[in-house]
Amino acid sequence: MSKAFAWIRRKLNPGYIASVAVSIVVALLIDAVILLIAGHDTITAYRELFVYPFSSGRHIGEMLEYAMVLCMCGLACVIGSRVGIFNVGGEGQLLLGGLIAARIGSMMNGMSPWVVIPCAALGAMAVGGLYAFIPGILKVKLKVNEVITTIMLNSVAAAAIPFFSSSLWKTSRFNEGIDVPTDFRFTTLIPTSNLTTAIIASAVITFFVWYVLQKTTKGYEMRLIGDNPRFARFSGLKADRIIIITMVISGVMCGLTGMFRVFGAEKTFIMTKVSKDYYFEGLMVAMIAQYQPIPTIIISLIFAFLKTGAYGMKTVGVPIQIYWVIQATVIFCMAGEKGIRAAIRKAGERRAAERDILARKEGGAVHE
Amino acid sequence: MEEAIIRFEHISMEFPGVLANDDISLSIRQGEVFALVGENGAGKSTLMNILYGINTPTAGNLYVRGEKVTSFSPKAAIDRGIGMVHQHFMLVPSFTVAQNIVLGHEPKNGKLLFDNKKAEKLTRDLVAEYGLAVDPSAEVRDISVGLQQRVEILKTLYRGADILILDEPTAVLTPQETDELFEVIRRIVREKGMTVIIITHKLYEVMAISDRVGVMRQGKLIGVENTKDLNEKILASMMVGRPVLFDHLEKTGEPGEVAIEVDNLFVSDNRGLPAVRGVSLSVKKGEVLGIAAIEGNGQSELLEAITGMRKINRGKVTICGQEATGKTPGEIRELGLSHVPEDRLSTGVDKLASVADNLLIGRQKEKRFNLFGFHQRRSTVERYAEELYEKFDIRGAGIHTEVGSMSGGNMQKVVVAREFSFDAPVLVISQPTRGVDIGAMEFFHTRIIEKRNDGAAILLSSADLDEVFRLSDRIITLYEGKITGEFTTNEITKEEIGLYMTGTGEGAKA
Repeated sequence: MSKAFAWIRRKLNPGYIASVAVSIVVALLIDAVILLIAGHDTITAYRELFVYPFSSGRHIGEMLEYAMVLCMCGLACVIGSRVGIFNVGGEGQLLLGGLIAARIGSMMNGMSPWVVIPCAALGAMAVGGLYAFIPGILKVKLKVNEVITTIMLNSVAAAAIPFFSSSLWKTSRFNEGIDVPTDFRFTTLIPTSNLTTAIIASAVITFFVWYVLQKTTKGYEMRLIGDNPRFARFSGLKADRIIIITMVISGVMCGLTGMFRVFGAEKTFIMTKVSKDYYFEGLMVAMIAQYQPIPTIIISLIFAFLKTGAYGMKTVGVPIQIYWVIQATVIFCMAGEKGIRAAIRKAGERRAAERDILARKEGGAVHE
Repeated sequence: MEEAIIRFEHISMEFPGVLANDDISLSIRQGEVFALVGENGAGKSTLMNILYGINTPTAGNLYVRGEKVTSFSPKAAIDRGIGMVHQHFMLVPSFTVAQNIVLGHEPKNGKLLFDNKKAEKLTRDLVAEYGLAVDPSAEVRDISVGLQQRVEILKTLYRGADILILDEPTAVLTPQETDELFEVIRRIVREKGMTVIIITHKLYEVMAISDRVGVMRQGKLIGVENTKDLNEKILASMMVGRPVLFDHLEKTGEPGEVAIEVDNLFVSDNRGLPAVRGVSLSVKKGEVLGIAAIEGNGQSELLEAITGMRKINRGKVTICGQEATGKTPGEIRELGLSHVPEDRLSTGVDKLASVADNLLIGRQKEKRFNLFGFHQRRSTVERYAEELYEKFDIRGAGIHTEVGSMSGGNMQKVVVAREFSFDAPVLVISQPTRGVDIGAMEFFHTRIIEKRNDGAAILLSSADLDEVFRLSDRIITLYEGKITGEFTTNEITKEEIGLYMTGTGEGAKA
């Protein structure tokens, strides 16, 4: 009995769940005050926040599509963190993946979707992976900090892509755009919404990522490398190789997400539409989820719900920016809540430490 | 002699969840050397920290010179004439000896300026008074650990201490330096009437220096005895709470073929400076080769190079007849080597992972733990971990415990259980019992000799000279990255080895 209880505790981590719930409630309370100060009808606004996302099939569809993108991006970040790397370059990898997928789609117009879609997916994955391989190899071989290189590569991608999408490969009548022919697009699941069959592919990938990270020997090795690379090397793991491969897989996921965006919701590649810093939001999701796969899925859904709800609040006059405020306060409260929990736990230790400092000051000696 | 200078009356000290001192009553007499012994976590340091004012007891009273102590702070303790020398020195390396000694109570030139001449004079006076020879104008970073300890003692004397607490003072000293320290202790006690309390867990030192000894176990004071009524065996069993069979290490069998061969090895340390300078050695199957060296003389780098954790600049390493030079740690393991690393926290375990995960690593690819070569069979893993957990007598909250939350001794058991489970013909073992208590120490020693008797070639390095003597068949001494001597264990004494460890033995001249 107690064993079963311990198992549940280990799996569920009630402290974490409580912490997430409390921070969301506190954030909403804070935002209620902000809304009041800004002169909005808080009750109406919050009713829209909670009702709007479920008020029509279209809204549900939008919400799920957004959750899918966040989840894919978040998991790409989670994978990297398992081996101790922080892939901040997912935005660039995603955009490049989308670009190449769109190009393949427009180039192979008229061919069978059974050929084109896999080609586009492979192309997107290859370019995303390759773009992540660069910081990966730099980190392993030259110890270059991957956070810096991936951020820089985002800028490189953002600077280079418009050249392709608004001139060299442009097919659209407008200033920018590489159109994906209708035949190749993912089937819409809920009419008039952005939700396509891409979400099924995403669900399969999500499940697979969870499975590999939590249930396989490879996932086990990755975890040890991330926790203590020196120990991993000592134990005979090929840490460098696994780190590079993991980084590439993280990039592959981002590239594929880009392909899902252009073959699904967007139907054409316009850089600013394919991703509005979605990867960075995914990154936040992963952080709040403490880099665990299942919480990443759940937090993605919560964030998507809040964002859709924010659109709902817009219909009663609250600016959409309030979504960012809510998101920021949630993150802020979570950080704070974590701090409070840690503070309580460490209260005893701190008392001892204060004594220690006192001892150093007054006695000139240290207690080890 | 008989007057109680310090009296603990029913002192208890409770930390959250731990009763570190449990109703301790103890009198320490003026002018004696009192040894406080016990395993790690027995509460010795806590009790001394109460005396030095770092801890305020939860219950009970403390009397110093008959006066009840009401305010606990190191400053008040110093005012009462109590000085404490901690295990880790609190000295400023770039300051001179004199500057370090007066730090906190500096002689001033006028009101503002530090008077270095006066500081040196004060130091010379102290040196003359107590007979603790040390050069006042030398910079602390240039003097040996033994001398640094003297500076610490002088610092407390400068502040007027006549009760001196020494926390594990010999842990960092060579046998010669230990002897010198004991000489100093005897002198300040005999000539100055000082009272010295020494915390230690080296039993022969208790026998050598103390008048009386107090034994602590699990926060309680088990007994106080006159040292001359005891011997090391009685002490050890008092500490552990059961008989300790210390001289039952039976070495059997004859050495076989050479399994570790190191030829003219050169290795650099982390700063890129030469650490190992032309070391050659060989270890046969069924023998233990011990490395005796003071910390920082290349032994760590040597073992890391052999096991593939550090780059080899020049030279050759052969493991079981196969070239190991330039191979990765993983490849060298495949040649038949297991490694108990010096620093278990940074190298030997994944603190964040469970005991089971830590025990598995190295075997994770074995068929029995994998379904379709991919899926980890968690139940088999856990059964395997349970087995090792039992076999190596790991104590804790089970195989799901995070390793980082375990005690040093149990953590080391996890490392040893894993590394010994490979049944490798070659074992490289570094600091097997650092921070481990006597009960567990005995366990590790027995295991190591079992491996030796089963025909493993063992290369051992330890800062504990007793350990090196106890386990090794042969001993080499390293000094500044070079071998200064090679001996058969029963043909040399600790004192002689000490000379070779400091580069002053016969071997250094040759």
